[in-house]
Order: sequence, then C-alpha cells, then structure tokens
Amino acid sequence: MTAKIKEFPGISLHEQDFTDGKILYNFDKLNGIYAWDTGVGIGSYLASLKAGVILGSHCPSCRKIVVPPRTFCEFCYRPMDEYVPLKDTGTVNTFSLCYVTWDVKRIKEPEIPAVIDIDGASPLHGIMHMLGEINPKKVKIGMRVQAVWKPAEERQGSINDILYFKPIKEA
Amino acid sequence: MTLLQRDPRAPASWLGELPVTNRYTYGLAAEKFFRTIKEEGHIMGTHCPHDDHTYVPAAAFCERCLRKLDEWVDVGTIGDVVTYTFLYVNLDGSPLEKPEIVAFIRFGDGGLIQRLGEIEPEQVEIGLMVEAVFKPKPKRIGSILDIKYFRPVKI
Repeated sequence: MTAKIKEFPGISLHEQDFTDGKILYNFDKLNGIYAWDTGVGIGSYLASLKAGVILGSHCPSCRKIVVPPRTFCEFCYRPMDEYVPLKDTGTVNTFSLCYVTWDVKRIKEPEIPAVIDIDGASPLHGIMHMLGEINPKKVKIGMRVQAVWKPAEERQGSINDILYFKPIKEA
Repeated sequence: MTLLQRDPRAPASWLGELPVTNRYTYGLAAEKFFRTIKEEGHIMGTHCPHDDHTYVPAAAFCERCLRKLDEWVDVGTIGDVVTYTFLYVNLDGSPLEKPEIVAFIRFGDGGLIQRLGEIEPEQVEIGLMVEAVFKPKPKRIGSILDIKYFRPVKI
C-alpha cells in the first residue's frame, strides 16, 4: 500500500474459494513439450554419465580440460581435440543452503546445491550438483566430495544419474 | 569443423515439458455474466445510460465514458446473425465432411461468437434470428460452452 492508497480495490481470493466453487475460473495448461538436441559434446557427456563416467574435453591450444565437454574451447576458440574421462571426485567451489523447493515450498532440511570442481579438469572447472549425506552446518568451501551414482541399470543418460555428492571421509 | 565425434550411444535429444499452468478468473462483470448463464440460463449485459450503449457480454466499465456500469439487463436468448463462417478443418488439422458453422450473434450493442446447430449450411444467412440452446443445468460449468449452439427460431 502507498501513502495515498490505503486499500486496493477488488476482491482477494483464497484457494478455498476455488475449491468451494465460489468463483468461476478457467484452468489451462500450456503445451510446453520440448526436445532439445544434445549436440556432440553434451550428447557424449550424457552417454558417458550412463556408463558411470564424468567426461571432459581437452583443448590442444591452451591445454584446458573443461567439464562438461565442449567441441570448441571457450577461452581460445580452437576446436577441442579429445575427450578426457575424469574422476568422480572433486572439491566444493561454492554452495548454498536452500530452504525452498523449486516450486516454492518451505522445507526444514535444506537442499544443498553446490558447484564442484571435478578432479582431472583444470582448476576452477566444475559442475553444479547437490550435496548429500552431510550435516548442512558442516559444509565448507574446499571440502572434498565424491559422486554417489544411481545403480547402473537405473541410469538413463542424465545429470541425475549422479544422485548427489557426499563428503570423502578422510582416513 | 569439430575434431570431436559424437558418442554413438548419445541420446539424440533431451525431452522435457515445461509445467506451465494458469487459472483465469473472469473478473467482476464476467463472473456475474457466466454465473447467470450457469444458474439461470440467461444472457446478461450492462447498460450505460450516458452513452445508451448495452454491453454484451457484460462489462464493468463503459469503454466510451469510463463510467462504472451497474445497470444489468437481460438481453434474452434470441439474437440475429451478424456474420458467419464455415469451418472445414478440425482443431487437429483433419478435414471435416460437414462444416462447423461459427457465427457472431448480436445481443444489445455487442454479441457472442458461437456455433450454429440444427441448421444446414445453405440455410444460414446474415440477419437470421437464432436462439440459444443451453446444456442441461447440472452439466453447466459457468463457461460460454454452456450454450451448446444457436438454432434458428421456429416461427
């Protein structure tokens, strides 16, 4: 509300008014089906995720190894020359404690999205994923984590073939 | 040219769906308009005394003088065909043997766009008087489709 307007005109509606039939309305669902071409780099990345490997690609000119694999180097624009299988371990680069779900529901136990620099890729090259099997209070930048994979028969060539990353227990 | 090859096992495409839904409430005037169709089977309009203009479907404000409209009028269920068209193609693109007839039917100073029924295509003409055929009351949901179609008035 503003200084001039104390109350907006109109009628406030609550969810109950719709379920009780107090208000007439039209419900519609957009036909939002899409197919996204995976391309050379990401297609190969998804195929190797199904096989249980995180794939990167190598630039012959600046010698960077990037993940996910790209066919052209983003830094020097040269074509990449080879795929590099990477380890499924890494280091937390940054993270967030998220107390709302994607459809804006409050949750008590936070989800922990993080950017994880994958071992074998160039420094500061990583992917975004979730952390799991961890106390949210104990997450730290720089901590070592390892991928927890779905069972091989359930994998479908998706980033979700990795369930989450869990901390590596130091011996 | 790329040096890298696509993994032959790679999925060709990633399939997804955007979960976008919407709920449209009709607003003050149209809420009453549709509720009258649903519960009484009448078509209502609003009249502006300043411009002597009757809005059908009912409007909350006059488009001409921006006054608030609260004079409701029952415009009956009989109107005349202002214009019409034959549709030979279905919603999914398949051809139709017998055309759907869609017409603009005048009520007050406005009107409704609806199907015509119980009529052969060659009988349709501009100026034809047609009356609304409503669905049975329990089946009405408060939509313009609660009017099944308009049929010629039998004299």
